[in-house]
Amino acid sequence: MSSINIAGLNKRYGQTHVLKGLDLSIKNGEFISFLGPSGCGKSTLLFCIAGLEEISDGSIRFDGREISDLGPRERNIALVFQDYALYPHMTVRDNIAFPLRQQKIDAATIAKQVAWAADVLGIQALLDRLPAALSGGQRQRVAVGRAIVRNPSVLLMDEPLSNLDASLRVHMRTEIRRLQKELGITVIFVTHDQEEAMVLSDRIAVMNNGVLQQFAAPMDVYSRPANRFVAGFIGSPQMNFLPGDLCGGAADHVVGVRPHDLKPGNGIANPFTLSGELVLVEPAGPFQFLDIAIGGHIVRATCTDIAGLSPGETITVGASPEALRYFNADTGARVSHSR
Amino acid sequence: MTLTADAPKIDIVAPRRRRVGTAPAFAYLTVAPVLVLMVLIVGIPLLYSLYLSFNSTNPITKKWIFVGFANYSRVFQNADFWAALGRTAYFSVLAVVGTTVLGIIFALVLNQRFFGRGLLRSVVLIPWAMAPVSIGVLWSFIYAGNFGLLNGLLHDLGLGSLATAWFGDGFRALNLVAITQIWNQAPLTALMMLSALQSMPGNLHRAAILDGAGPVRRFFSITLPWLKSSLLFSTIVSTINALMTFDIIWIMTRGGPGAATTTLSWLGYVQSFQFLRFGEGAATLYLLTMLSLALAVLYFFVLSPKKPKPASEIPGKPVATIPRVRPAMVVIPPWNMRPLIHPTTQRNLTRVFFGIGVLAIFVWSFLPVAILIMISLSPPTDLIRTPPSVFPSSLTLENYRMVLMAEGTTSVQAQRVPVALFNSFVIGAIVSLINVALGTFAGYGFARYANRRFFAVSLWALLLTRMVPALTLVLPFFILFRSMGLIDTYLGVIIAYSTILMPLAAWMMKASFENLPASLERAAQIDGCSRWTMFIKVLVPIVRPGIIAAVIFCFLVSWNEFLFAMILTTTMKTQTIPVIIAGFLNQARFYEYGPMFAASVLAILPPIAIAFFFQRYLVQGALSGAVKG
Ligand SMILES: Nc1ncnc2c1ncn2[C@@H]1O[C@H](COP(=O)(O)OP(=O)(O)O)[C@@H](O)[C@H]1O
Ligand SMILES: [Mg+2]
Repeated sequence: MSSINIAGLNKRYGQTHVLKGLDLSIKNGEFISFLGPSGCGKSTLLFCIAGLEEISDGSIRFDGREISDLGPRERNIALVFQDYALYPHMTVRDNIAFPLRQQKIDAATIAKQVAWAADVLGIQALLDRLPAALSGGQRQRVAVGRAIVRNPSVLLMDEPLSNLDASLRVHMRTEIRRLQKELGITVIFVTHDQEEAMVLSDRIAVMNNGVLQQFAAPMDVYSRPANRFVAGFIGSPQMNFLPGDLCGGAADHVVGVRPHDLKPGNGIANPFTLSGELVLVEPAGPFQFLDIAIGGHIVRATCTDIAGLSPGETITVGASPEALRYFNADTGARVSHSR
Repeated sequence: MTLTADAPKIDIVAPRRRRVGTAPAFAYLTVAPVLVLMVLIVGIPLLYSLYLSFNSTNPITKKWIFVGFANYSRVFQNADFWAALGRTAYFSVLAVVGTTVLGIIFALVLNQRFFGRGLLRSVVLIPWAMAPVSIGVLWSFIYAGNFGLLNGLLHDLGLGSLATAWFGDGFRALNLVAITQIWNQAPLTALMMLSALQSMPGNLHRAAILDGAGPVRRFFSITLPWLKSSLLFSTIVSTINALMTFDIIWIMTRGGPGAATTTLSWLGYVQSFQFLRFGEGAATLYLLTMLSLALAVLYFFVLSPKKPKPASEIPGKPVATIPRVRPAMVVIPPWNMRPLIHPTTQRNLTRVFFGIGVLAIFVWSFLPVAILIMISLSPPTDLIRTPPSVFPSSLTLENYRMVLMAEGTTSVQAQRVPVALFNSFVIGAIVSLINVALGTFAGYGFARYANRRFFAVSLWALLLTRMVPALTLVLPFFILFRSMGLIDTYLGVIIAYSTILMPLAAWMMKASFENLPASLERAAQIDGCSRWTMFIKVLVPIVRPGIIAAVIFCFLVSWNEFLFAMILTTTMKTQTIPVIIAGFLNQARFYEYGPMFAASVLAILPPIAIAFFFQRYLVQGALSGAVKG
């Protein structure tokens, strides 16, 4: 239960500059996601906060106190690793008790606290098993149990759900959210899955190449992306990007429009229309995706009814002006529509 | 149509029995040559020496008398046997503990990232890749009485009063031989530990750091349990190697002073080949074989990881009936274990200690080798200076001229060196090619059909030959070859070496084939290959790196082998380089020491080259077989 202030944080491995001047301010009790493609430095940032990696320069403060000189254990943080890192030769009970034993807490208190953590996570029946005898979801719970057992002030999670299958992932993310609410703990959750970040977080920090792109609430990131990278990374399927001149705008702009906002229509309702050859129709349950070739680009649109549409035909799609986002063609920064 | 009792008149076609239990004939064909040959060259000699151990032979009349267990009871009544057993136990415990501790330390250091790690990994391998004969020559000279290097160093440091005849004291001699054994064997343990460490998820240690465990705690709670199964294997290997230590004893102490370094293997050798009491020698060596088998089994039961509890549901309390009290969270007091040293200081200290460790490993592994090279470049008169010194008076290639061009020497032994190098090379090449060819076929069969009983059992039998000391085999070979006229022939040496190399090659190739997906074979068969074409055209090209590794490793083992070569060769027609080096020691004239050191350096050049340029293959061989003693 701490606030975290990161200022001017840089991390270099020899010549490689992994984190480039990061500034982040996280409030007490917030659920924050670090989101970005793999290799962008999310884990490195997490390890810097945890104290597992030394920072090259900058400062990290917990509740206003500088902690970058402290050892990992003194920071009172806990980390759930991507591969869970359960100690393979210890039972679940010993795994969970391990951090408390290091702190020389008396056996009775440890037993009580392990019982509490097991109860919170519903793993009472597993306490005497070895990690090898657990399923992926169970291992994940044990890893969380080992993390929360010593009342950390911040819980860090490094892609904790990426090793689970799809349905379990959805289930576990609600559990994690519930747990965070219950404990009132500050959580930093690393993921490369934008949907996970959208669903879980109070705020999302989008990263790319070691640079913070945007730090805002999920819907802000979705509807007011700071730049082209964020716009492309958030939302599925990906936003369409078209050169400005192709859609009657300035040549130094790139126009972005999400497939969900682009629908067949003949331009009566929508002043923004595009025409091209329908290449492919992909059914996606309640609606279909349409891939349309326009001026050498493939643009994706959605429709709910494909009656009368077949590949090879020319089709016109349109979007309302509010759905359009404009980006500077060189810098990628979002600009307001001027012309 | 109604269903009645007589309805099943329909002839139900019994599904053709799927041939689950049988392997294709091709599979049997692949392993047949190795198995047949192993029966011939290992099975028969072993039975023969078992038979020997029940007979008494008279070396003069050459008469054989069946005596039943008399040899064994004589051995058991012999105080020398019990003394040798005690020495073997002491030597082995010291060697195994030293090898294991040092090996783990090496591996921990080599597993870190640091500048020059690749180089150090090669350097560390040298003591293990070297011929034991060269190792013996080197360390003998370091400890030698009057002119030894250790004494030389003491004189150079002004501590001449501490100089002593290091092998003069029996107990000290035994310890020094054990240290030499450790020097030779630690790299092997290090390799096995290193490969286990590399497979350890890095996050395990990170998690433990966050949980507040310090370095020592982490080593015992995380690293050591992770290494457990590898430790089991490396301990078995180093125990067997310690029990069978022979070459370095032959060179360094020959069982002396007195009987201070007479271990069981040396006793068996002396009984067989010096007193020619074959029956008693065979009995002693058989007991040694049993001992190593028993220890391997013991380790296996003591150290093998306990089977985890079956993953069945643990019967819990019926939740519904008992009013459940939800456990409450305990507020854990804040972490107040202030580190004794400031983290930055601690990091710097760690760096300093780590640097010292790296340096120490380098010196331990490389300095003795550098010394050997330096001596070989010094004038022979340097070796008998009084007072001795470690610094050469000048550097010269004279010793090499003597052994390579037979210039400026009257030493017969020196003139034999070029031929011996040639013999070593030819024998090594022939024996590795034959055995790897056979082993490639067998490796395939063993890898693909490991779950069939026939293959599993014969593979175990093959591995068990690893527990048989070469000494147990060399005695029947000696007697059989004498009557067959195979003594002092290439063929005899090749047969003897194949007893070691065939299981090794088959085992290494099995590991290579195991890495190939089975779908590859199916694809080739669907594409219309016969099993034979599939094997030759598809599989063999893919496992070629494995084949190269096996050839290189087999060559190295053959190049370094001493015992078989010494017993089974008699003239320079077939003598290999280790035999020639050992021969120098019999002459014991000081002016021959120069050529001897030059020959020793020549003998370690191929192993060093392999350690540097084919390190990957060497490591692969070490990890999959570790058969080399
Ligand atoms: N110990 C290291 N030495 C050098 N480069 C590293 C090290 N650890 C990570 N990197 C580099 O830092 C970058 C970020 O890595 P990481 O934080 O693991 O990415 P993410 O977790 O976002 O996938 C990668 O390009 C990686 O190659
Ligand atoms: Mg990562």
